[in-house]
Amino acid sequence: MNPILLETILVCVGFLLLLAEAFAGGVRKSVFGYGAMVGVFGVFVLTFWIDAAAMNSEAAYSVYYSADDLAVFFKRFVLLATFCVLLMAVEFAPVLQKYLPSSAGGAGLGEFYCLPLFACAGMMWLVSATDFIMIFVSLELVTVSFYVMVAYMRKNALSLEAGVKYLILGALSTGVLVYGIAWIFGILGTTNLVGISQAVAVLPPEKSVGVLFGLGLVLISLGFKVAAVPFQFWVPDVYQGAPTPVTAYLSVASKAVGFVVLMRVMDAFFVAPYYGDRLLSTVAFLAGMTMLLGNLAAIPQTNFKRLLAYSSVAHAGYLLMALASVASGGAGYAIAFYLVVYLIMTMLAFAVTIVVSKSLGGDNISDFNGLSKRNPWLALAMAIGVLSLAGLPFTAGFFGKFFVFVSALDAGLYWLVGIGAFSVACGFYYYLKVLRAMYWLPLSIGESENTRCSISLPLGALLVVLVVLTLALGVFPSPVFALMP
Amino acid sequence: MQLAIFWIFAFFMVFFGALVVLLRNPVSSAMSLVLSFLFLAGLFMTLDAFFIGIIQVLVYAGAVMVLFLFIIMLLDLKSEKQRKLKVGAWLGGGAVLAGFVYTILHVVGRMPGAEQAMPVLPGGVGSDVARIGWVLFERYNMPLQVVGVLLLVATVGVVILSRKELK
Repeated sequence: MNPILLETILVCVGFLLLLAEAFAGGVRKSVFGYGAMVGVFGVFVLTFWIDAAAMNSEAAYSVYYSADDLAVFFKRFVLLATFCVLLMAVEFAPVLQKYLPSSAGGAGLGEFYCLPLFACAGMMWLVSATDFIMIFVSLELVTVSFYVMVAYMRKNALSLEAGVKYLILGALSTGVLVYGIAWIFGILGTTNLVGISQAVAVLPPEKSVGVLFGLGLVLISLGFKVAAVPFQFWVPDVYQGAPTPVTAYLSVASKAVGFVVLMRVMDAFFVAPYYGDRLLSTVAFLAGMTMLLGNLAAIPQTNFKRLLAYSSVAHAGYLLMALASVASGGAGYAIAFYLVVYLIMTMLAFAVTIVVSKSLGGDNISDFNGLSKRNPWLALAMAIGVLSLAGLPFTAGFFGKFFVFVSALDAGLYWLVGIGAFSVACGFYYYLKVLRAMYWLPLSIGESENTRCSISLPLGALLVVLVVLTLALGVFPSPVFALMP
Repeated sequence: MQLAIFWIFAFFMVFFGALVVLLRNPVSSAMSLVLSFLFLAGLFMTLDAFFIGIIQVLVYAGAVMVLFLFIIMLLDLKSEKQRKLKVGAWLGGGAVLAGFVYTILHVVGRMPGAEQAMPVLPGGVGSDVARIGWVLFERYNMPLQVVGVLLLVATVGVVILSRKELK
């Protein structure tokens, strides 16, 4: 099967669901959520049947689209992330409904299940994009879908604030990206990444400074997308205000595709050491700042989603550290493995947050007080999630960090490893705060141990799968490597 | 002659662009943006890109900005006028701006090609519009399809976020 059909099928599923939602009255809205999940899972299965040789190399699209191993691996990654997000979205519907301006039950929920499909298609295009034009349009598709999803809870001031902030800073970063691409195109005469790597190899050195400027601007814009310091200002407010499934989506899938684009763009410029050296030292610098600021700023947080936002900044730092050591060879694997682990443990943490905030109405750390007395199994799942995020041995998070640090050591980035080790130590402190709330702090006044959080069957199944994966990859990480590019 | 026209258009484009940010009345800001767009269209014309120049006037200066003005008037934004200036924000913004301008000057100054005239591009067959159409639908067909999906998402988003009562 031609790989280009994957996104087409997904977009068509989105169209069908939107149409069905408009014309089928009286159907329960969760049906569309499950329909979208079936569509995503179907496309996921189809990724095992694609054949890159079926692509017509003469066709115009072959310039923009590549179905190499990296692209296919991350297409599956994005599809799985979307699947988890849709499952959480169905679970989150009652909270969402509360903040929608509608009197009829279920109004406005159908679109909430369709938008992730288009965002997912955009991200699948993005990981395949081999041309700046394609990178730009698919990145915009992803970001525009996210603008809508972040501001979805219109009657909630926090969600609106998050939407506006994300829109303005997103538009700014888009402007920077276009300006950077314009510089690169103006000097090299091409927007294609393959063409660029051929052109920079023979470019006269006196013209290189213009390309470097353009590349710097592109790096800034991608820094916004992966939430690297100092381009992280939007992260805490947006993560806190957005509906929780959208926050999970933003922190996992959007970040992962940002890194894939970053890898592809950097790869095109590595042929010339003039860019390679400067790129690596810039990324190493960004990584150091991101790890430090992300972890230090997370310490005083009292809202769990805000804490996860800073933790997501910190994880971007570890990933950037791997990216900075890309010369050592093993970095690509370290990044891919880290992202897979990050997907599993972040989804776990957000899924538990949804359960807790649904029954208690808040997502502050204090809402987790005494959770172990109320729902011991839920507390255990969360404990495994945060310990894995912190990087405790025998959880998946440990190996994720281990491979990243090994690859940085191989590349000789000792100072960066030092900063990383300090950051991990800070990380343990604030992740254990959640653990302390769940196991040591008493329930808030006026609450009894009998008010248990109810978990629905699909979400419970997702939690079990994620917990098992976190523990299994913590002792036996090699199966993931078998799937890797 | 052409150089003089370039400098005039470029100067006014940047001038009115700066006014968009500096003026406090939203209506004046929007009108400055219209003027900035008009001078940008002039720049496109001097590059022989007539179609893009006209589209710039018709779509951006015309349709989009009129829509903007309508929105501003509907929202009746007056509070914006009384906003106090913050010293810290001015200094921070100024530092970023100065750094950016310095970098651009530095880069342009070190590029020898920046002063040379670019070679004249080979002309094609047929009119501007037809050629843009061909390129857009043949070479750039795939990005165009993605833009189509983007517009759909934007439309759905506008309906969701702006409707008074969802049904």
